[in-house]
This record gives sequence, C-alpha cells and structure tokens, in this order.
Amino acid sequence: MIWLTWRQHRKQAFYTLLGLVALAALLVPIGLSMRNTFSDLGLTECVSQLARADVAQATRDSCEAGFHRFGNQYGSLNLVAVLLITLPALVGLFWGAPLVAREVEHGTHRFVWTQGVGRTRWALVKFGLVGAAVVLLASLYGLGMSWWVEPLTQATHEGRLGMIVFDLQGIVPIGYTLFAVALGVFAGTVWKRMLPAMGITLAGFIGVRAAVEILARPRYQPARTQTFPIEGDGPPEISRGDWILTQGVRNPDGTMIAEDTRIQCPPGGKGPDGRVCGSELGLEPGAYNWQLYQPADRFWLFQGVETGIFVALALLLLYLAVRRVRRIA
Amino acid sequence: MDMVLEADRLGKRYGSTWALRDCSLHLPAGRIAALVGPNGAGKSTLLHLAVGLLKPDAGTVRVFGRSPYGDTEGLADIGFVAQDTPLYRDFTAAELVVVGGKLNRRWDAALARNRLAQLGIPPDKPVGKLSGGQRAQVALALALAKQPRLLLLDEPVASLDPLARREFLQSLMGSVAESGTTVLLSSHLLADLERVCDYLIVLNASQVQLTGAVDDLVAGHRQLVGPRHDGGAIGGVAAVVRASHTDRQSTLLVRTDGPVTDPAWTVRDVSLEDIVLAYLADGSTQTSHSEWGVAA
Repeated sequence: MIWLTWRQHRKQAFYTLLGLVALAALLVPIGLSMRNTFSDLGLTECVSQLARADVAQATRDSCEAGFHRFGNQYGSLNLVAVLLITLPALVGLFWGAPLVAREVEHGTHRFVWTQGVGRTRWALVKFGLVGAAVVLLASLYGLGMSWWVEPLTQATHEGRLGMIVFDLQGIVPIGYTLFAVALGVFAGTVWKRMLPAMGITLAGFIGVRAAVEILARPRYQPARTQTFPIEGDGPPEISRGDWILTQGVRNPDGTMIAEDTRIQCPPGGKGPDGRVCGSELGLEPGAYNWQLYQPADRFWLFQGVETGIFVALALLLLYLAVRRVRRIA
Repeated sequence: MDMVLEADRLGKRYGSTWALRDCSLHLPAGRIAALVGPNGAGKSTLLHLAVGLLKPDAGTVRVFGRSPYGDTEGLADIGFVAQDTPLYRDFTAAELVVVGGKLNRRWDAALARNRLAQLGIPPDKPVGKLSGGQRAQVALALALAKQPRLLLLDEPVASLDPLARREFLQSLMGSVAESGTTVLLSSHLLADLERVCDYLIVLNASQVQLTGAVDDLVAGHRQLVGPRHDGGAIGGVAAVVRASHTDRQSTLLVRTDGPVTDPAWTVRDVSLEDIVLAYLADGSTQTSHSEWGVAA
C-alpha cells in the first residue's frame, strides 16, 4: 500500500516540492533584505523598547518615523502575503480532490479495491500518508512564513493578530492545509469527478475560512475594552500589536457618537469659532474614545484554537470520507 | 454439487429504480458461465455485488458461502476484471505486477510475468499506451496471478476487435482449464461467449430470465411449427416462451418436459442463440410502453 501510494503520487510530490523551492528562492532573498533594512533603521531596538511601558516620547516618535519609512519601502509586500494565503487551498485542490475522485473517474477503484486489501484499509493508508506529507509541508511553510512576515507585522500597529498575517504564520497553516485536503477528499467521495470535486473544495474552503475568520475568531476569548480621553498631550497610548475589533467615540452615558474613528484634541483646545473640541459631532463634555480589542499576547492561544477547529473539521471530513468510500462501486 | 455463487432474491436499487431485482441463481463450481443481457440489464450490478463492491438492498448473495460485501479475506478467492479493464495508466505492466504482489497475500508473480512475456507485452511501457487488447491481457494476467477460485470478468471483450476477442478468450480458456477455476463472464452479445461457455445466465430488465447448463437448455427447448395455435395445452410442452402467428400457422419456441408427440406439430431443434433471443424478447418492452405512456 505504501509503495503504491508513493508510486502514484511521486510525480505530484516532486512538483509540489519544486514549487516550494521556487517560492523559497523568491521569498528568502526578499526576507533577508527586509530584515537588513529593519535593523539598519534601528527598528529591532524600537520593538523591544516600545514593549516597555515607560517609553520616552522622543523614542516613540523616532520609532514611528522608522516604521513609516520601512512601511513605505516594503508595505506593498502585504499584497504578496494575500497571494500566499491561497496556498492551502491549492494543496486541497490538487492533493485532496483527486485522491478518490481520480480513481473513480478512471475506474481504477474497481481494480484496487478488489485486490486483497480492503478498501477501508486502502483509504486509511492513503489518507494517512497524504495527510502526514501535507502536515510536514505545512509546518515548513508556517515556520518559513513566520520568519518572513515578522518585520512586516512588527512595522504595523495591528501586529500579527491582523487579518491576513495571522493566517500566514505559526501553526494555523497546518490546520488550513489539512482541512483543505480533507475537504477535497470528501468532495471527491461525494461528486466522484475531479472537476466538480475541485470546484466544491475551493468554494467550501473559502466559505469556511471566511466564516471562521469573520464570525468565530474575534470571539475565541472575550474581547477587552479600553477607553481613553479625547483631550490629551500626545498620541494615545495604544499598545502595539493589539487586534482592534471596533472603535469609536462615546458620550459619557455610553451612546456611540462616531464609529470607526478616534478623536484627539490638545488640552483645552477650541474650534475656530470657539466651540469645544468635537462639539460639532454632538460630543458632550466627558466624551471618551472607546475600543474593543484582543490583546497581542493572545496570539498563540488564538493560533491554537483556530488550528484546533480546522484539524477537528478535517478529521470529521476524513471520517465521513472513509464511510463514503465503503459505498462507492 | 458445490455452489460457487448463490443469489437469493437479490436486489440492488439506485435511487428509485431497481438495477437488479429478485435475482435468484446458482453457479456450480468448475463452470464457465456466460452472463448475457442487453446493455443496462444489470450485469455489472450483479458482478459488483458478487465481488463486494456493492451492498445488496434486498436478498442475499454468497460467494463460497460468504457474504462478499466488506469481506476482505473473501476477496483473495475472487479475481475481478472490471468493465473497460481499468488499470493505472501511467504504471508499466511490470509495476502493476509489483502492485498486485503488495496488495495480495497470495500472489503468483511468476505466473503473471510468464503470461505477459508469452503474449509479447512490453514490461516497461505505461499500460495506457498499450492497445486495448494488450491492456485486457494485462488485466487478466493480474486477475489470474491472484490464483482465484472464482474469476469474474465484466464485458472483457466488448472493446476489443474480433481478432483480439478470440485471442483473449483462447488464452483465458487455456489458463482456467488447468486450474479448475470457475469463471463468470458477461457480455451483451452471446456470440462472443457461445464458443467458450458451458453455463448460461440471461438477464433482462433487471431480472433473471433464464439460467442453466448450456446442454440442458438446448435439450430442453424446441421449436414447434403447426396450425394456428389458440393457447391450449400441448403434450410435452411445459411453457411457451415465444409465439408468432400467421393466419394459418403458428411458430412456437417452447420449453419441453417430455417428447412432443402430437403429429400436428413439426418439431425442430433450436440453437442457443434462438433460445436467448426468445427470452430477451419476452418482457423487454413492457416497461418501456408504460413509461412512454403508449399502448403496448
């Protein structure tokens, strides 16, 4: 069985490895130059200094300027990162969907399932080996991407809990990839043709990923709230790397006056016509900025929860796929 | 007599239509049996049930006394060549022999290699690039290397040209004659199998129409020609299978249970093909008429 699996998929494995090597050849030089610039701008020290509570305003300003310069130079790479989150889906399409669908489409399931190995064992060995290979690849990919996006995420306020960068690094790529493959395998046992199975896999993967990302992830832990006054000396104290879910300006009685914004006025500042700062928005005295956020130190907890969800979904789909395999003739 | 394959009121349904229904038959050991019926009669379904690819929806099927669905151990005794002889097209014949060895506990690789060498099949060419006849031979060699006690072949010669058909059946007969393997092979054309089979199962419209040893069937059917027949009993006739009438004369194909002595009838022997055609004509159009909503 193991020999058969290797013989059937060795070409595919070769091309997958080739693709990964090409990707590495492209991304590693970029990553290296990105890291050089990062330390040349003195941003490495900035990161450790900003993590402390008592940072001098001057340091804060010079670091912000440095992050800004870095962002100008490499910010467009965030678009590359968007492309990279499609990789798990591709693995699902080309490794998962054909696993059963190809056999049935070519009729070879009638050959292999009528040899001396039962088809349950066939399914377990095949799913197991392909699953193990995929986990290995995804771990490598997750490690590599963690290294690659680190400067990019450190340069932004949002940090690594942010929408796209969170999906790229750490252990979640393992969950996504395993889920994509399992979804592909399952779709192949239901639709039994490669193209429909691939289409369903793509649609299902995008749907589930979007649903989890938008609906579930902000709620893995109760979000914290933070308030700070409108009037102040400098920019507000916002810890870097927090994932801000919603923010706005509220009146003292708690009603939301302006959503998705934040107001900063110098102390005792007045408008041109002498009005109190923000009164044209309907702000009453004592109005404050408010934000709902997930703190940056929950990164690994969230990674664990999200990976757990997708691994559990993958195992469920594989179980259903094994059951369905027993009914295909 | 040892029964290799027994089906009792066996049925399989796809959605609401029965692909096979109330199928009861016995296949004695050592026979070369032909499973004949038009396309869509349920031949593949019956074979898939026998090899355990399908689970029966009604009744039972037993192969060597075991229920084949989900029975991995029982698979060792069954060789199966599916329709269109599916094989991994990018594998070479030599690799497929290795695959068989990995997937089967009992495996005679030397037998497979000898056969393929004798047939002149290149060992290092992907089987997808072989001719249809060669590919069928590879599939047969793989099935025989399992040293099965029952060999099931689903339309093995349907896609072959007449010469390849002949060669395929000859090489099949050559190898099973020595081992005493029971063979069940299906075709929509009796002519393909008539020369090699000694047992016959006729399927039509998802039901068994006729089953029995070829010699018994030929001995047990006669054609009667005589004056126009009104449906009354005739001595020695068990059943009228098919009747055609002109104004004065009737031609009947009958199943006999004794000699027909009535001098009004001229009795003729019939060929196996006549018998099969008579049974296939019977009943094949009834459902169609009702489905189209027209009078029969």
